[in-house]
Amino acid sequence: MNLKKAAVPTRRAFAERMKEYGAIDGEFVVFEADIGYSTYSHLFGDAYPQRYFQMGIAEANTMAAAAGMAADGRTVVACSYGVFITMRAVETVRTYVCYPNLNVKFLSSHGGVTAAVDGVTHQATEDIAFMTTLPNMKVLVPADTEAARKCFDLALRTPGPVFVRLMRDPIFDIYPKAEPFVLGGSKCLRPGRDLTVACYGDMVFQALEAGEELEAEGILVEVLDMYSLKPFDATALLESISRTGALLVVENHQRRNGLGYELAAFCLKNRPLPFENLGLQDTFAESGSYLEVIESYGISKSHIKAAAKKLLTQKAGG
Amino acid sequence: MDLDSIPAGAAATMEQRVAFLRRKAREVRFHIVDMIFTAQSGHPGGALSAVEIMVALYFDQARLDPSRPRWPDRDRIVLSKGHCCPVLYACLALRGYFPPAELKKLRRFGSILQGHPDMNKTLGVDITSGSLGQGLSLGLGMALEGRMLKKDYRVYVILGDGELNEGQVWEAAAAAAKFKLGNLIAIVDRNRLQMDGFTEEVMPMEPLEAKFAAFNWRVHRIDGHDLAQVLDALEAARELREAPVCIIADTVKGKGVSFMENRRVWHGQAPTAEEYKRAVREILRGEA
Repeated sequence: MNLKKAAVPTRRAFAERMKEYGAIDGEFVVFEADIGYSTYSHLFGDAYPQRYFQMGIAEANTMAAAAGMAADGRTVVACSYGVFITMRAVETVRTYVCYPNLNVKFLSSHGGVTAAVDGVTHQATEDIAFMTTLPNMKVLVPADTEAARKCFDLALRTPGPVFVRLMRDPIFDIYPKAEPFVLGGSKCLRPGRDLTVACYGDMVFQALEAGEELEAEGILVEVLDMYSLKPFDATALLESISRTGALLVVENHQRRNGLGYELAAFCLKNRPLPFENLGLQDTFAESGSYLEVIESYGISKSHIKAAAKKLLTQKAGG
Repeated sequence: MDLDSIPAGAAATMEQRVAFLRRKAREVRFHIVDMIFTAQSGHPGGALSAVEIMVALYFDQARLDPSRPRWPDRDRIVLSKGHCCPVLYACLALRGYFPPAELKKLRRFGSILQGHPDMNKTLGVDITSGSLGQGLSLGLGMALEGRMLKKDYRVYVILGDGELNEGQVWEAAAAAAKFKLGNLIAIVDRNRLQMDGFTEEVMPMEPLEAKFAAFNWRVHRIDGHDLAQVLDALEAARELREAPVCIIADTVKGKGVSFMENRRVWHGQAPTAEEYKRAVREILRGEA
């Protein structure tokens, strides 16, 4: 797997595509809550000032006004950080966007501890729990810039609310330009026979690096990028775990009520197997560099390697 | 004298319009009490206080076509105080959006009439509402949409006075003034009671006129049960196109049913059979 240092973070790639898409689709509008130079929504605003609404530091009002504007069918992209969209404004998103099933799409930056240096107030480590729980909501998490661009198109083409979790900092790029992304899809980024690692967003890179190092030790892990969290790709997951017989879910999120809980329930029902879930263990993180934080909080490649080995022992009946 | 007896095309005088609306108000009040009694659940007090405001909108001021509930040029009405939906449902039924018989199914399983308004279940409901403090934000978005589409429809938002406690109302007020939304008209049903008591005891919000004026809204204060005043204020609001307008309508919670008036317990309580009979008697012979 060819990991290329990303030039821009996924938040910027998504916003750049939003600006480009403004020329393709003249109908959608964008709401911003005074972090347009961080979400990069200003790129759209500069190009289409008549379609860009600056609502100030008032996220609940922003999300409800987006719902009002979408009430007769218009598509609105509402931009903010994950903590504000999914927690400060969660009831607005639930009752006024998801319940009436309106076409509001969420550009949600600073997902997980990718906003590592900013500290806990700006690290959305419970966003997936809230958003995947809301009826009608679809949830996408692109891992790289090309995926982020495709997820913008996907969000706009998908009826109803769509939440897209993006990252603060650039990490790696993996996907070629022509790579297709679909709702309910996933990508097998590394085939393997011993163990399936299901992950999303920045954790994809930790899993790939862990996979490469484990291969040197003769362990072949299969890495699935579950970029469509809701709905998730049950077919691909089932096919993979049927071959490998063990599942490790890795997420930059609280372990509780993240993808791991969802997939654990799925496996318990469809194919019980050795299972482990890496994520924040009922704790808040802290400020620091990205690599320091993921290392301290148990979601780095070293933790993936250790968990993989433990699962293989379990699988072997040990 | 009422509008039914005026030949088509003839302009009604203010007295004729008021007389017509007064009759509608009585019908709406009857249905509010009737449906809440039938459901044995609901919020009579704030529904009864908003009757004149709502009938003035639905039967006189708002541009509507019940045969085309999603008509793009219709005026939008947001009942931000969504728990008072019996008044909305009665207006919609009497206006012909759905048969009045449906009113008997308020809050029942499978009914089109949910406990709080649902835009996808009830014809004529422009937007889902009921979680307080957010209707002005919804109206703000709808007004921005009207401007974007270059349509001349207006957006009316009926606010409870209790929900003005919510900070989001003031976020929306600031934004509506920023965007100079002259197509947005907020009407505060100032009945002075919220669930736990008198508004000025629970959370004092006066001076309301000064508050909205400070947010750069144009403000009118009226007697919200005087239909001529309600009509005048709504007409004056329509003249103004450069700023949002707030009409503070002083009302009485439970208006039209003597034992419900100004009494906290009737915020969200259904009448007994005895109370129902008394209430209906008062409404049918009432002046309100």
